[in-house]
Amino acid sequence: MIGDVIERSLRQRSPVIPVEALVGNCDGSRMPEIVADRLTEEVARKLVEVCPTSALGMYELEDRRCLRLSYGHCIGCGKCADAGQGAVVVARNFTRCGVAKEQTVRLWDIDGRAEMTPLAPSPEEARGQIHSLLQRALNVRQLDAGSCNGCEAEITALTNPYYDLERFGIHFVASPKHADMLLVTGPVTRNMAEAVKATYEAVPAPKLVVAVGACGCSGGIFAGSHAIVGAVDAVIPVDAYIPGCPPTPAMLITGILEVLRRRIAK
Amino acid sequence: MREDTPSLFPNSGRASSGTAFTLPQSEDGGAARLVTIFGSLDPHGARRVRYVFDAGKPAYSEIVLPAEGPLRSIAREVPAAAWHERELHDQYGIEIVGHPDLRPLVFHDNWPDGVYPMVDRVDDVPWSKRDYRFLQVQGEGIAEVAVGPVHAGIIEPGHFRFSVVGDTILHLELRHFYTHKGTEKLFEGKSAGDGAMLAESVSGDNCFAHAVCYSQAVEDACGIKVPPRALALRLIGLELERLVCHISDIGGLCTDVGFSVAAAYATRIKESLLQASVQCCGTRYWRGVAVPGGLRFDFDSARVAELAQAVARAFRDFSKIARLSLETPSIQNRFEAAGVLSREAARDLAVVGPVARASGIDLDVRRDHPYGRYSEHPIEVPVTHYGDVMARARIRISEAAVSARLIQEAAKSLPDGGVFTPIASQGDVQGFSAVESPRGELCYWVEARGGRVTRCHIKSPSFQNWPAMPLAVAGNIIADFPLINKSFNLSYSGCDR
Ligand code: SF4
Ligand code: SF4
Repeated sequence: MIGDVIERSLRQRSPVIPVEALVGNCDGSRMPEIVADRLTEEVARKLVEVCPTSALGMYELEDRRCLRLSYGHCIGCGKCADAGQGAVVVARNFTRCGVAKEQTVRLWDIDGRAEMTPLAPSPEEARGQIHSLLQRALNVRQLDAGSCNGCEAEITALTNPYYDLERFGIHFVASPKHADMLLVTGPVTRNMAEAVKATYEAVPAPKLVVAVGACGCSGGIFAGSHAIVGAVDAVIPVDAYIPGCPPTPAMLITGILEVLRRRIAK
Repeated sequence: MREDTPSLFPNSGRASSGTAFTLPQSEDGGAARLVTIFGSLDPHGARRVRYVFDAGKPAYSEIVLPAEGPLRSIAREVPAAAWHERELHDQYGIEIVGHPDLRPLVFHDNWPDGVYPMVDRVDDVPWSKRDYRFLQVQGEGIAEVAVGPVHAGIIEPGHFRFSVVGDTILHLELRHFYTHKGTEKLFEGKSAGDGAMLAESVSGDNCFAHAVCYSQAVEDACGIKVPPRALALRLIGLELERLVCHISDIGGLCTDVGFSVAAAYATRIKESLLQASVQCCGTRYWRGVAVPGGLRFDFDSARVAELAQAVARAFRDFSKIARLSLETPSIQNRFEAAGVLSREAARDLAVVGPVARASGIDLDVRRDHPYGRYSEHPIEVPVTHYGDVMARARIRISEAAVSARLIQEAAKSLPDGGVFTPIASQGDVQGFSAVESPRGELCYWVEARGGRVTRCHIKSPSFQNWPAMPLAVAGNIIADFPLINKSFNLSYSGCDR
C-alpha cells in the first residue's frame, strides 16, 4: 500500500515553486497599488472615506497635499479599488515584506501626481540578492498573539510541497528557546499580552521579531478594540513587518528572506 | 424566525429567584436543541436575553426575556447553556441564579470586576489582577499538567489543564478566550456592508462561511432577495471551504500520528485548491467576495468551470490518499477507540457539525434549515455512532465527497444574471441566519438601524463544541490528546471572538 504511494510520488513532478517565482509575488493577496497619474484630490478624498482601516489618509506636507497608504494597516478589502476610478488597482507584485515600518508607508503628491517615497526594490532586484542568503539556517518560532487563524493557515502552507520552506534551511521550531526569529501574528489581545512578553523573553539573543499580517503590523481590523492591547510593537520590539490580510505564502517567504538579507547586510 | 411567547414565572417554586421559562420541546417530545443564548439592549438601553432553539422544524424558535433583574440558569437542565450564560454574565453583567460555575469565561485575570463591555464604556479599562481557580483534582498519584496558552507548533493559543494518573487523563479543564478581540462589540456602528469584513476575520479558515452567514442575517433583516447567480456562487464557495478544511483535517490527523506521506499529499491537494481559487476570484480563501445583497463582483463562468475541474482532480487524489490512510493498520490502531464522545454527552452539550454526526446526532443546517440554493440540491448527511477519532475522520471524508459533488452540480447549472441587490438603508431591523460551516452550525443575529449595525451576535460551532472535548479525552492517555484535539478541529478565534 505504502508502495503505491511512493510509486506515485516518483512518477509525479515536484510541485515546488522556484524561489525566483516567489520573491515579490503577491497573487491572491488583494494588496492595492496606486496609479499616480489618475490621482485627483476628489478621488483621494473618496479613497480615504471608503477605507475601513486607516490605511489611507490625506496629509499636508510642506504645503503639498499628500495621499498616504500604509500597507501595515491595509486588509486588502478592495474598497479603494472599487471607488478609485482607475486610481487604484490590485498590485501585481509586492516587495514591501520583511521591511522596516517606514517602508510599509507610501506617500503621493496629489497635485503633482507623483510618488514622494522611495521606490521599493523591483522583484528582479529583490531576487538578485537571494542566492547569497540560501546557505544559512534559521529557526523560526511562530507565535499567535490573538489572530483570526487566517495568518496561521498561510504560515502552515509554507511547509507544503509548493513552498517547502525547509529547502532554504528555514525550520519551524517548537520552543522559543530554540528560535532565532519570532513570527508574530494577530493583534496582541489583553489576554495574550503577558504570554507574548514571556515568549519574547524566552528567545535567546540575538533575536529577530517579525510582525505578520495587518493585525500584527497595526491591529488591522481589530484596531481600537477594548479587548486588544494593539499591534505587536505595542508589546515587544519589532524588527520587520509583513503586511497582508493574510499575507500569502509567497509574501511570507519574500519577507523572511528580506529580514535575513537586512540582517546580513548590517 | 418565529417568536414564542415565553411563559414567565419569576420567583416560582422551581428556582429560588430569577426570571425563567418553560424549555421548548422538539417534535418527538424530547428537549429542543439549544442553538444559542445572547444579550442585547432594547431601544431604552434595557438588557434582554434571547434563547434560540431548534425544535426540529425548518424555522428556529426564539424566546426573549427581559434581563434587568436576575435570570434563572438553565444550565442544570441544559448543560449546553453553561458557557453561554457565563458569557452573558461577563459581557452584560446579567445576574444568573443557580449556575453551577459562574467563574469569568471571556475575561481573564487582567480584567477588573464589574466592567461589562456590552453595557459599559470601555475606552480605557484599567489593568487588574484577579484570581482564577482551576478545579483541583485530589488523590494519591494525581499530577497536574498545564499546557499553553503558547503551544509547540503553528497553532492558536489556549490553556489546557490536565489532571493525570500516570499517562491517563482523569480530567481536562479548558481555559480559552486568549484570542478574545471584542469582535461583537466592534460590529457596533459599522455599515451593514463593512460588517462582512469583520465577519471574515472571526475565524480565518472559515472566513467565507462567516461572511455568508453575516450577509444572510443582514439580508433577512432587510428583506432582500439575493440574485440566484450570487447564491450559486456562494454555494460553490461554501462547499469549497468545507472541502479544503476536511482535506486539511485529514492531513493534520495523519501528521499527528507520524504518517507523513499522506500528510504531505493532503497539504499539496489543499494548496492546489487555494491556487485554483486565486485563478477564479483573486483570493485564496474567498475573502472580500460575499457582502450583504450578494457578491462584491461577478465571476467569469469559464473560470468557475476551471475551478470545478480542479476540484474534481483534487477530490480524486484526496479520496485515494484518504482510503489508503484509513486502510493502514497503524492508523487504524491510533484512530479507533481514541477520544470517544458519547451520544448522550454530545446531545447534552448540543454539539454540532462533523463532531456531532460522528457521535450519532443527525444534524445538518443545509438539509434541516435550507438557505441559499441548498433546497435545490439533495444533501446526504453521513452519520455514524462510534464517536471516536476514526468516526470523525470518516465523516469528514464522506462529507468531502458530498461537497465535491455539489460544486460540480452548481458549476454546471450556474444561473445568468446579476450578483448583487443593493440594500436600502432601513429603520430598526433584525435578522437571523444559520449556515453549516465546515465545523458545523454557525449563526449570526444582526440588529441594524438606518443601515448601521447596532448589535451582532455570533454563535460559532467551536464555542458550542469546545466544552465537549474534555469529555472525549477523559480516560485516554495524554499522548493521544493532540490527535483527539485535531479530530475535533475547533477554532480558538472562532470560539473566543
Ligand atoms: S484595500 Fe487596503 S487601502 Fe484599500 S480600502 Fe481596503 S484597507 Fe484601505
Ligand atoms: S491579518 Fe487578517 S488574516 Fe491575519 S490574523 Fe488579522 S484578520 Fe486574520
